[in-house]
Order: sequence, then structure tokens, then C-alpha cells
Amino acid sequence: MAHIQIKDLTFAYPTNEDRLVLDHVSVDIPQGQYVTLCGKSGSGKSTLLNQLKTVLTPNGKRSGEILLDGVPLDQVDLRTQAALIGYVMQDPDSQIVTDKVWHELAFGLENLGFDQRTMRTRVAEMASYFGIQGWFHKDVDELSGGQKQLLNLASIMAMQPSVLILDEPTSQLDPIAASDFLNTVRKINLELGTTIIITEHRLEDIFHASDKVVVMEKGRVIVQDSPKAVGKYLKEQSSEMFAAMPAPVRIYYGVTKGKDADTEDLSKVPLTVREGRTWLSELFDGKKILPEKETKEQEPDTKETPAIKLKDVWFKYDRDLPDILKGTTVDVPKGKIFALVGGNGTGKSTTLKAICRIVKPYRGKLLIDGKKLDSYKSADLFRGKLAMLPQDPKSLFVKTIVREELEEMLGVKEAAKYEKAVELNGSENVPLDPKIERIAKECDILHLLTTHPFDLSGGEQQRTALAKVLLTEPEILLLDEPTKGIDNFFKLQFASILKRLTDNGVTILMVSHDVEFCARYADLVGMFFDGDIITTNTPDKFFGQNSFYTTAANRMSRHLFKNAITDEDVIRRCLENLNA
Amino acid sequence: MVSKQSEIKTMREIYKDEFSTYNPVTNIVFFLGAIILGMFFIHPVFVGVSIIVGVIYLFTLIKKRAFKELLLMLVMFIVLAAINPVFNRMGATVLFWLFGKPYTFEALIYGMTLGGMAVAILCWFACYNCIMTSDKFIYIFGRIIPSVSLILSMILRLIPNLSRKTKQISSARSCIGMAGSASSSRMEKIRNGTLVLSTLTSWALEGGIIMADSMRSRGYGTGKRTTFAKYRFDKRNWVLLIIMVILIGITIFCAVKGSTKAEYVPYFTMTWFGEFYMTLGIVCYGIFLLIPVLLTIKETIKWRIFRSKI
Repeated sequence: MAHIQIKDLTFAYPTNEDRLVLDHVSVDIPQGQYVTLCGKSGSGKSTLLNQLKTVLTPNGKRSGEILLDGVPLDQVDLRTQAALIGYVMQDPDSQIVTDKVWHELAFGLENLGFDQRTMRTRVAEMASYFGIQGWFHKDVDELSGGQKQLLNLASIMAMQPSVLILDEPTSQLDPIAASDFLNTVRKINLELGTTIIITEHRLEDIFHASDKVVVMEKGRVIVQDSPKAVGKYLKEQSSEMFAAMPAPVRIYYGVTKGKDADTEDLSKVPLTVREGRTWLSELFDGKKILPEKETKEQEPDTKETPAIKLKDVWFKYDRDLPDILKGTTVDVPKGKIFALVGGNGTGKSTTLKAICRIVKPYRGKLLIDGKKLDSYKSADLFRGKLAMLPQDPKSLFVKTIVREELEEMLGVKEAAKYEKAVELNGSENVPLDPKIERIAKECDILHLLTTHPFDLSGGEQQRTALAKVLLTEPEILLLDEPTKGIDNFFKLQFASILKRLTDNGVTILMVSHDVEFCARYADLVGMFFDGDIITTNTPDKFFGQNSFYTTAANRMSRHLFKNAITDEDVIRRCLENLNA
Repeated sequence: MVSKQSEIKTMREIYKDEFSTYNPVTNIVFFLGAIILGMFFIHPVFVGVSIIVGVIYLFTLIKKRAFKELLLMLVMFIVLAAINPVFNRMGATVLFWLFGKPYTFEALIYGMTLGGMAVAILCWFACYNCIMTSDKFIYIFGRIIPSVSLILSMILRLIPNLSRKTKQISSARSCIGMAGSASSSRMEKIRNGTLVLSTLTSWALEGGIIMADSMRSRGYGTGKRTTFAKYRFDKRNWVLLIIMVILIGITIFCAVKGSTKAEYVPYFTMTWFGEFYMTLGIVCYGIFLLIPVLLTIKETIKWRIFRSKI
């Protein structure tokens, strides 16, 4: 008997009963399986997960049933559910309840009324298993994002659940913390036999480990099967979801073009970088690899004044504290996308803050368009010259609907005029300001104008915040982790907006952990380490030289091709060589 | 910002202290005793003992950093002592005339006693602050009213969170030129402030919903709740608690018998060493206040011996 059985589940929100958020979903999950749920934003993944725990299920019209060990979920009392079904949410911060690590670990056990002895044992056990002893007595606020999410996981595991549900648990974490976290989840699955149901944007780390992958689209399950079979199915259907598959799968099908897909042995499909390397090596066994045609080295134009120039910039928060920026030097050329990559706490974000005058360096030069940063007046600098999109787009939202949010940027008088007009005539009857209309169209948020900004999905919030920033018509745009928590489709859309901006001469400096995104869209990439930029190069050279800090496609093919960093590069080189 | 916070953290850090390893209940009984008794004994000798022991204890806790706090207390003491005779003209021994009013010896002594008492209590509060961390405070509350302890714990997390978010919002707005500048009018500043506040509210509400979900999904409100006790009440706590109660008992008994009697008008008189109850009272009071310091000394000696044996 399956551990969890979802039988013909249909769900619609009371506000819109015709639109089925879940459309006849049936999934069987045996005990101890690792199940990955994927789909675009808004495909119903989170809604499905919320149905698996009664306290989280929203109101709405519902049919079908969910069985937990053969018993309908509604009949399992809440206390038992709390213990049996663990649920880890997206935001590491908001789901923490108490102020101390030890208290958070004990919180669930307190709620379930365990006695002191059991609580002590469980808490001690979890702290040891997750390696938390070192920060057991700390304040929660002293922890990093990765530690916080690990704490959330540990405090749920202390209740000894038999199912663990994770709703995009790593979307707010940097890649290293994310893969640490996912490894721990994997370890729990392997060592404790806990059933795992997980949704993720980044499938690279979990796809190969899954026993079953469930793909959703518009509230329906379009396919549920083993990872390899799912890859094949999505390719055959040329589904949009194929773009979310891990790089080895995409490259495999890109090269074989799905030829003889039916007769093909599924076991050959590579899921990990290691399998991908082996497969490529076999494919080109004994063949000579054609050397890549040398592209002409583009000499950077040294005459043109860079949009942003930092020379030997030093910064620390206080005299007695360690330096954060240690002689940072960089030139950001006009009209390019410049990406800064590097680990946490190396000073990337601080560099952006220094350029925005949030922090003030104590030594060194900072030039914007060849003019000293200090010589700009705030009113001039942040109007038409420089603007920053913050890491959390919500920090920019102060109004109740998106339209007001954008009109706020026109100035107090204009905004009040529009607000009055909308109040009198209704939103549809008041034409938008031409500038707003143009930018809203460019950011693809015209259909969202009457929504509350907090009700938007992550990608939509990002674009709304971007529109707000663009209304200052900046020549230089600073982006802080722009792809954090955004799925692949929104990333594509976001990238094309950035491309259009640079075509119009806007300079973009972004700080990012997203190696794949930087490899594909940046013009220049700089590596930040220990308060300074170590190397700067074009993405292909930059990532081509790295062996660890690079894209999956590059790691998979670097023993054969030089400087092939994106999937397209690898596929193109494979085909050139195969057809030669 | 993180490093800033850790900086503040070190300000509260204390040196090796034995008393802080005792159960919070033992801790709070001691501090309640020291502070409440200190407020009732308006007798120069008792006040003096309280100040001296309090200062010694504060020194063992925070060493050099105590100088700064003591300097402030000294200023306060001098001001209180000197000002009292200006308003209080009781007493028979006139020292000099100020603005045509007598400045008396008795009023000065009384002022010094009161000022000393204030300093002693501040000193004990400073020690209390070092020993009674939020964990311990919440633990004690939890024993009295369990639900309050959880709320306190949540509030303690909420406040720094909100202040961090405020900073984040205002810097985000300043980077798109919406934060106003130094030259902007008061009206504009108020408008900006309200906007930041409104964002903060939606943010807090949204976070609240997620937190409520997180609480319910971990079984909050599904039935009887217990409280995880980080601290145990073992034998050494019982021993110390009994000693403390006995000492407090004797001190109070002596006080009732008149050990702390001091008269300020018309002439200054007070009980002095040699009177049975006074001597017994002050000795018990002194030993009681010295308990934390004695514990630290005992532990230091113990470890010296341990080490020399190795």
C-alpha cells in the first residue's frame, strides 16, 4: 500500500471556482521514496503540497481524497498530522518562531506536549545529527540563511515525521548552502527512510536522486515517472518544462536530436555531470577533436571612460572591525552587462552599496562617468544616472496596487493627480502615463496593474520592482542577486529585458551567485574574493579557466572542448565534430 | 551589519562567573534579595556594604568596562548628595549658609545615604543585566505563565527584525532617489516616513501569516503544551538557595529588631558595631551579597588545586 495516495484531487479557490488550480491530480507515493515535483510558477505545485497537510489547506472547492497510510487525511487528527507530516517552507526567516536555536529545536516538541526527558533526548539527537551543537545557544539572528534553513529542517525532524514536504527550500540560499541543504535532505531519505516530497527550481542537485519526478502544468500532472523517462517524455512533447531539465539531459537530447528515441535505451541518458562526461567520452572515443576557431580577441577600448570606475577602494564598518573591501579596483565599461560572482561575505554587495552611497569608503576613488561620486548631488545621481534594484524586490513596494507603485515615481503631485482620477473614474478609464505605459510594457506587467504587489509571484515582483527602478531612467543599473528565487522561465524573460536595456546603452553591474545565468548573459565576469576582484574576463574565458566555479555544461565537456560554457556551445561543438 | 551586531554582543559578554551557571530561579532570588533589601536599608553602613560588594561583583563580571559605568554612578552620587541639603533644610548642625538658607550636616549625610543607595541598586542592576540573559528571564516567566514565555521569545525576535527591515527599505528607496535628501522639507520627510512604515506593516503581516502557518504546521494549538527546560535544578542549587533564604531571614529579623535604625533629625545618630542585632545583621547581609563573589573565588581555588595536581 502506498504511503500517500492522492486520488483524483481537484481544487479551486472560492474567488474563482471555474479555474481549477488542481485538475484531477492522482499520485501514489510509496514509503521512503524521494519524489520531485516540478513545474512553472503557478502550475499548482505549492497548492498541491498545501493539500497534504490539513492546517495549511486553504479554503476552496475540493473533490477527491488524500490517503495517509490508507486513512483519509481529514480523519487524521491535527496533532498526529503535526508529528507525522513535516513541512519546510521557502523563506528561512519567517518560519522561525522563537529567538534562540535551542528553543526553536524544541518548539514542535513543546506543542506536542512531550515530557522533559523525551524533549532533551530528541533535541540533543537532532543537534548532533545536523551538526548544530556549535551554535546551539546562539540567537537565531546570528545565523546565516543556510544555517537557518538547516535549523528549520532539524526542528521538524525532531518530531520524527514519516513524510517530509519541502516547498522550494533552497530558493533563498546561495548555491553552496543550497547543495549542503539538499545533501542533508538526501541523507535523511537514505538513512532514516523518510519519504521526501520536494519542489525546486534548480533541478541539477535533486533530479538524479529522485525515485519519481512529477511534472505539473496548469494544475494537471502531465507526466510522473523515473527521471530518465520524464526527460524523454518532455523532449518528445517538446514541452516548455524541458528547459528546466539538468544540463546533461538537455545536451544529450540536443546532440542526439531525439533520433531513434523509441528504440533508444534509456539507461544511456546522463543525469549527472559524471555520467555526462562518460557519455561524451564514449561518443568521441578515438575521434580527433577539431580545434575551435579562434575568435578574435576583442581589445577593451581603453579610451572610453568607463561608466563605473573603482580604484583602490577600502571600506570597513568601524575602525576596530576588519576591512570588507580591500583595495577593490574595477572598470565597468559602458553599455555592457558586468557580473560580479564569488562566495558569501566577500564584499560583493558592499561594493554595490559603496557605489550607491549607502556606505562610504574611507580610502580610494569612485568615479561615475569619469566624475567623482561625491561631486554628484543626490537628486541628480538617482535621477537618470544611477539606480539599484535591491535583492528583495519587496523593499521597494509601498502602495496597495502596482499602478500606484509606478505612479509614485512620477513625483508627489502627478501621483496624487492620477490617484484622484482613478478614484473617480475607475482604473480602466484613466489612461496610463505614456512613460509608465512604455516601461510597464517592456517589463511585461501591464496585466498586473491592479494587483497588490505582495500578491504577485516572485518573478512578477521582480519585474514590477525593475519597472519602478527603470522609471528613474538610469544610465547605470545595479542589480543585487536578481535571479534569486526566480524560476527558469522568468529568468529568460528577465534576461531579455536586460538585453534590450543594454542595447539602448544602459550599463548593468550585477552581483550574482547564479553561475549559469552569468555565463549565458553577461558580457564580462569578475571574480570577487577577499575584498577584491581577482580576475575579470569574458564569460567563456572566465568559466573556461575555472574547474569548480563554472557551469555544469562546462564541467561535463571541459576534457574535450575548450571554453564551451553553455549548453548551446557544447551541443554546437558536438554536432560540428560529429558531422566532420 | 552582522559584524556590528556581534560587536554589541561582546559588550554584554561577561568573564568567567560561577554564579551564572546556577539555575535562573537561584539567580533571580539573589538579585531580588539584593535589590529589595538594598532599597529598604537606609543606613550608611548597610548602604556602604551594598555598594562595595556590588562594585566588586561588577568588576569580576566585566573587568575594565566597569570603570565607565562606575564613573557615571559616581557623578550621580555626588549630585544627589550635594543637592539634597539645598532643598532639605532639616538638621541642627549648620555647615554654611547658601542663598540665605542653612546647609546642614544631617541633610548632607542623608543625601549621601540616598545617593549611595541609588548607586548600589544601579550597580546590582548592572550585574543582573550580565547574569540574567533573555533565555533565563523567559525561563522564569515560563514557570509562572507558560504562554507569556513564548510571546516574549517571539517579541525578542521581532524587534531586531523590524529594525533591520526598516534600514533595508530606506536604503532601497534611497537608491532610486525616493528617500528625499537633506534639503527636503519636513512634509516630505513625514511622507517618506509613513510610506516606509506602511511597507513595514505589510511586510510584518505577511511574515506573520507565514509564521502562523509554521506554528500550526508544527502542532501549535493542538492540545496541551509543555515547556522545554534548558536549566536543571540540582542539589547545588538547593544548597545555595537554602543558604540564601537563611541569610535573608536573619538579616530581615535583625532589621525588625532595629539593626538598621538611623535617625537624621535633629541630630544624626545610627546603630553601630557592637550592638548585637546590628553586628549580626550586617554580617549576614554582607555574606549574602558576597555569595556570587565567594563562589567565583571558591571555583578559582579549586581549579588551581586541580591543575597543580596534574
